[in-house]
Amino acid sequence: MADVRTAPVDTISIVVPKGRRRRRGRRTNPLIYVALVAASVFAILPILWGLSTSFKSESATLSDSGWIPAQFTLENYRLVLFESKIPLYLGNTLMVAGLTVVTTILIGIFGAYAAARFRFKGKTTSLLLILMTSMIPGIAILVPLYFLAVQLGLYDTYAVMIIIYTAWQIPTVVWMLKGFFESIPDSIEEAGRVDGASHFRVMVQLIFPLAIPGIAASAVISFVYVWNDFLIAATMISTDDKRLVAVGLYNYLSQYGIVWGQLTAAVVISIIPIVIVFVLMERRIVAGLSAGATKG
Amino acid sequence: MAIAVHPGTEEQGAPPAGPPTPPPPPRGKGRGVGDKSPLGLSWGLVLPSIIVVAVVSIFPIVYAVNLSLHETSYMQIGEFIGLQHFIWIFTSAEGQAQIARSLIYVVGSLVIAVPLSLALANLLNQNVRFRRVFRVLILMPWVISQTVAALLWKWLVNPDYGPLGLGETPFGRIDFLADPVLAMTLLIVVNVWISYPLATILCLASLQTIPEELREAAEVDGAGPFRRFMQVTLPLMKPTLFVVAIQLTLLYFNMVTLVYTLTGGGPLDGTNLLSLAAFKQSFEFFNLGLGAAYSVVLFAFNVLFGAAYIRLLRSERNG
Repeated sequence: MADVRTAPVDTISIVVPKGRRRRRGRRTNPLIYVALVAASVFAILPILWGLSTSFKSESATLSDSGWIPAQFTLENYRLVLFESKIPLYLGNTLMVAGLTVVTTILIGIFGAYAAARFRFKGKTTSLLLILMTSMIPGIAILVPLYFLAVQLGLYDTYAVMIIIYTAWQIPTVVWMLKGFFESIPDSIEEAGRVDGASHFRVMVQLIFPLAIPGIAASAVISFVYVWNDFLIAATMISTDDKRLVAVGLYNYLSQYGIVWGQLTAAVVISIIPIVIVFVLMERRIVAGLSAGATKG
Repeated sequence: MAIAVHPGTEEQGAPPAGPPTPPPPPRGKGRGVGDKSPLGLSWGLVLPSIIVVAVVSIFPIVYAVNLSLHETSYMQIGEFIGLQHFIWIFTSAEGQAQIARSLIYVVGSLVIAVPLSLALANLLNQNVRFRRVFRVLILMPWVISQTVAALLWKWLVNPDYGPLGLGETPFGRIDFLADPVLAMTLLIVVNVWISYPLATILCLASLQTIPEELREAAEVDGAGPFRRFMQVTLPLMKPTLFVVAIQLTLLYFNMVTLVYTLTGGGPLDGTNLLSLAAFKQSFEFFNLGLGAAYSVVLFAFNVLFGAAYIRLLRSERNG
């Protein structure tokens, strides 16, 4: 069965070529480095400029347009961390994103397992149904979701955000985990079944632990999605203290006029955790995205 | 089978469906689990996912269609007015301009993002020193949210205080956010900036399924790097490129956050896209009926492209 089924596995192993392709004494064209450096600069230039600004005093942001601040100051960070609501927003986001990841995985993992291992009537249809919803754009259902949230009394709660994010991440997670389960040999289940364990026990006790790398990758991808979302967080929440960080940053801009020093410090603080996770897990994330990129 | 790395490959669930579904059931070894699949358990496992997506994604679409056919006043749903909202979107000067801008935005971004991603994937696939460093740096914008991207770029291109010296150029003062055409240009650039990492990742995955031997064989035959790329790599990557293009099209067409936070649709409505109009009509002007009509138009477009996507995958698989 070396057809499409095994594809995600191939991807994962291929994305991580460990010295498989050794250079055979050929020199790499220097132009390649030029292009790579140029691309890297394009990729991180706005981030570097923000980082630079965050270390300048508020008056220097409007006079010192150098890349290296003439005078370093941590004042912006002090203001953001101790005198703004950004830490509160970060906490809210961490909680909502964390709970979303947990519910998404808890719900999605079973569906993914069934899709990978069992054949049953209606399987194709139900899988199709789940995956198709990832083609429904968020903006197309925002108004109905707003209505529903208001009518169900869920408007302005964390719960409504978690529910919506979960539903939007389920197709991605089911798809990625399904690929992952398919890469685990059947023989493990058979051994478990021979020992007399039920389907359910085999799944939970033998297979799920083996899928932890896949679970981690899909967890990170879902987490980043929630961390970065603006649309739901902006429309479903009206109380300032419940805001998520993306909306908080945007409001920061409009609330106090433009205080670029503080704003960029807030931006830097908000992207640090996610950049660290990305650097640490880049390979897994890339493998997961190539296997399961559905909802941008 | 380059295409296999993408989601949706399984969507058709066509002939070689689930893993434990080889046509003739008895297969001494291997896929035994599937043969005695517990129906109840299977459904029990899948059902929670279905319920959640049905409530949060499928039901609201029906609701949106209904809402778009009615007069609304804030949260009150008024009388049935048929297709009037839709007719307005497609016939009014404003609606048509929004459609045109959406097209410019989508096509403009695609024309840059697809070749860029293809090129970057090829570069990142080379054997270079510090490859991992380059990969992390180049794919970094993936983790940056649209809101943050908008803020950072706004500050970067600030004509008065930015580092690019846009205040005094040979062409005079360049303020990207003050001119409709420049604003659209900036919007496209930032849009490419946030979206190329994902496209690059997909291209890279597809690139790595191409056996090195093929390129080596071409090299032995005397093909230079450019010919190797055009005649070996590119044809094999074509299906992936289509898929990437469709995914990006959908992403761009539905883009709200970036537009809202970068330009807010301005100046002079120069970047007011269909997707942004859907958001603004609903949540700024509270014309929920009209907003819903915009949403339905967006959805219809998505279905169209989604169908093209699935057809493409299917023909890939069968052909």
